[in-house]
Amino acid sequence: MLATQPFDDNPCRPRHFKPPPCAPVVPDGPARRALEGCRARLFFTSIVFACVFAAVGLRIVEIVVFEGGSAQSHMPRFRLPALPVPSRADIVDRNGKLLATTLDSPSVYANPKQILDPADATRKLVKTFPGLQSEEIYAKLTSGKSFVYIKRHLTPREQYEVNQLGIPGVQFQHEERRVYPDGRLTAHVVGYAGIDNSGFAGIERGLDETLKDRRDPVQLSLDLRIQYVLHEELQRVIDDFTAKAAAGLIMDVNTGEVLAMVSLPDFDPNHPGAPDPDQPGLSFADRMFNRDTLGVYELGSIFKIFTVAMALDCGTSTLASTYDATHPIHIGRFSIGDYHGKHRVLSVPEILMYSSNIGAAKMAMAAGSQRQREYLTRLGLLKTPKIEVSEVGAPHFPGKWRDVNVMTIAFGHGISVTPLSFASAAAALVNGGVLRPATLVKRPPGAVPQGQQVISARTSEQMRKLMRLVVEHGTGTQAAAPGYVVGGKTGTADKVSGRHYAETKLLSSFVGIFPMNDPKYLVLTMIDEPHPNKESHGYATAGWTVAPATSRIIQRIAPLLGVEPVDEASPEIQRALMVESLQGKKIEAY
Amino acid sequence: MIRVGALFWLVLVSGTAFAMFGVKYQVQALEDELARAKRATAAEEHEIRVLDAEWAYLTRPEMLEAMNRRFLSLSPISTKQLRTSVNDIPMRPPPPPEDAVAVAVAEAGASPPAPEGVPTNAAAPVATAAAEPPRTQSALRVMPALLEKPSAAPQLAATMPVKAAVKAAAPRRAKSLGDLIAQITASR
Repeated sequence: MLATQPFDDNPCRPRHFKPPPCAPVVPDGPARRALEGCRARLFFTSIVFACVFAAVGLRIVEIVVFEGGSAQSHMPRFRLPALPVPSRADIVDRNGKLLATTLDSPSVYANPKQILDPADATRKLVKTFPGLQSEEIYAKLTSGKSFVYIKRHLTPREQYEVNQLGIPGVQFQHEERRVYPDGRLTAHVVGYAGIDNSGFAGIERGLDETLKDRRDPVQLSLDLRIQYVLHEELQRVIDDFTAKAAAGLIMDVNTGEVLAMVSLPDFDPNHPGAPDPDQPGLSFADRMFNRDTLGVYELGSIFKIFTVAMALDCGTSTLASTYDATHPIHIGRFSIGDYHGKHRVLSVPEILMYSSNIGAAKMAMAAGSQRQREYLTRLGLLKTPKIEVSEVGAPHFPGKWRDVNVMTIAFGHGISVTPLSFASAAAALVNGGVLRPATLVKRPPGAVPQGQQVISARTSEQMRKLMRLVVEHGTGTQAAAPGYVVGGKTGTADKVSGRHYAETKLLSSFVGIFPMNDPKYLVLTMIDEPHPNKESHGYATAGWTVAPATSRIIQRIAPLLGVEPVDEASPEIQRALMVESLQGKKIEAY
Repeated sequence: MIRVGALFWLVLVSGTAFAMFGVKYQVQALEDELARAKRATAAEEHEIRVLDAEWAYLTRPEMLEAMNRRFLSLSPISTKQLRTSVNDIPMRPPPPPEDAVAVAVAEAGASPPAPEGVPTNAAAPVATAAAEPPRTQSALRVMPALLEKPSAAPQLAATMPVKAAVKAAAPRRAKSLGDLIAQITASR
C-alpha cells in the first residue's frame, strides 16, 4: 500500500491531494552553519571508514595474493588432544634391559550411522585387512548402532592405510598394547597383561597396582643373559632325555634375589592363547603352569641336606657319627632301601655323598619328629612361599607326623614343596645360616634384609664342606665345573602315580652352589620324567641328567656374574673345604 | 579544552585496545606453540618407546646368538681363558735355536730365485700377516723366522726387499715379568 504513495507517506492526507511543487528551502544564517557542520562530520567519518575498509581490503589482498595463503592465522585452532601417558610402567631386568613395555596401538572403529555406502566401505576395509570377513563387516556397518569395532590394535602401517581409504564414519580410538620383546624367555616371571591392560599372570598380575601407579620402570632381579643360559640348557636337557617338563632357578644366596627362573614348557606372552607351533597338543594351562613357584614336588634326595643340617645343628649327629646302612628298614608296609647301596656302616659325610636313604632315615629318627618339624618350619618349607608373582603353591605335608613320615621326609618323600621354597632354604644352609625371603625385584646394595638365623654359622660351614664332597666324590661328580668349586646334591624321586610310587617315572633334580669356599649363587634344576639315552648309559637319574646341565650352566654364567675361577687344588681351597672326620681315610668313589 | 581532553582519552582508549588485542594474540600464539611443543614431545616419547621395544627385540639373546653364529663364531669363555692375575700369564716361549733359522735360510737360498716383481708385491701382506705363511712362494716360507730374527738373514736381504717392512732390532726376550716391566720402563 505504502509503496503506491512514493511522494507522500502521510496516511491522514486525502488520496487525491497532491502537494504543490515548491522550490528547495535554502536555509539561512545559523541553520546553514549547522548543516555545513553536519556535512563535514559525515565526510570525516566516511573518510575514517574508507581508510579502515581500505586497510582491511589491502590486508586481504596481501594475505591471499602475496603470501599465497600461508600467513599464520590468529584464529584459535582446533586443538588436538594431547597423547595420554602410558597407563602401565615398563618392566626391565637388573641391567635395564626391556622385558615389557606399553606401546600405542590404535583400534579402528566405525559409526554405522555416518557410513554413507556400507557396501563400498566393506569392500575397501576387507581389501586392507584380508583377515576380515566381508559378511561380518557388512553386518556390522548396517547394524544401525553408533559404535562397532572393525579391528583392534593396528600397526602404524595399517593405521596409515585406513587413513588413506578416507571412509567417512571410520575412525580411530587411542589404545595401548603390552609388548614383550623377549617373548617366551621370561614368560613365567613377567607373565602377561590382557587387552585392557590388566595383569593376568606373573609379575604383571602380582605387581599390578604398582605397575599401574608408577611411571618409572619396575626393575626385576632377573638377568636376561643368565635367564637365556638357563632356558637354553634346560631345553637341551628336555630334548636329550625326551622329558615332559623342566624347571630351574638361579638365586643369589646372599641376598635372595632370583637371577633366572625358567619353567618349561612355556608360552609366548605376546600371544598367550596361541598354540605352541612345536607342540600343538600341549594345553594352555600346562604351558602357563609355573613349575618354580606354583608346582609342588616331592623332590627326593636333595632334601637330605636338610636332614643332615638339622642333625648336625641340633647336635644329635656329628660329622663322625656312623649309621648302619647294611639292611633296608622295614616299617609297616614300607621298605626303605638304597638306590646304590653300599651295604655297610656309613658315616654322616658318606650318607650324603652316596645318598643313602637308610642312613638319612636313621639320622632323622635320631633327631625325632619334633625337631624335624621345627627345622622344616624354620626353613620356611612348611608355608606357602612369598614372592612377587601371583602364582604360588602351598606345600603338602602330613598332618600327623608319624615315624614313617619322619623317615620318608628325611629323604624327601611324603613332603611336597615348591622349587622356590627349596632354593631359599638351601641358600640359607650355605650362606652362614641366614634365611632371606626370595624376591624377583632387584634389591639395591643397601636394601638386603637382615634375614633370620635358622642354623648356626658352624653348621652352615659343615654343610658347605659336605656338599662339596658330593660333587668331588659322590653322586654329583658330573656337576663339577673346573675352577668354580661347585658343591651340591643330587635328587632322584619316584613320581607318585595314583596311590603308588612309579619307579619308571622319575623327577630328577640337582641343587648346585658355587663357589663352595664362599657361596655366591645357587643353581636349582629339575626335570620331570626324563628317559634314559645312550650317553647316560641307561640312567635317567639326577647325576646323569641335570648334574651335567648344572656344570654347563655354571661354566657359562660364572664369567657373566664376575665369579673368578680359582685353582681347586690350591692348599687354601683344600683346607677351607676339608672334612676332618674323613682325613686319612680312603674315599670310595660312588 | 574539552576537545583536547576527549582527544587524549580517545587516543588512550584506542591505544589500550590495540595493546590488549596484541597481547591477547601473542598469548594465544604462545599457547598454540606450547601445545604443539607438548604434542611433539609426547610423539617423540612414543617414538622412543617404539624404538626401545624394537631395540630390545633385536638384541634379545636368541637373536644375538644367531648373529654370532653367522658373523663372529665367538664361543663362551672357558675357565682356561680366564686369568685373574698378571702372573698367571705365561711368558712367550723361547725363540727357536739359531741353527733352525740357518737351515731355513739355506733352504730358501737353494730354491729357484723368485721372479723380480713377485716378492715386492707379496711383501705387504706377508709383513702384516706373518702368522699365516703364504703358500705360493717357497722362498717366502722363511718369513716367520725372518720376523723373529731379521739380522740372521743378511744374504737374503739383497733379493728380498721385504726387510724394510720388518722391525730393525728385536728386543731382548724378557725372562720374567719383572724383567719385562724393567725393559718397558727402560725403553720409555
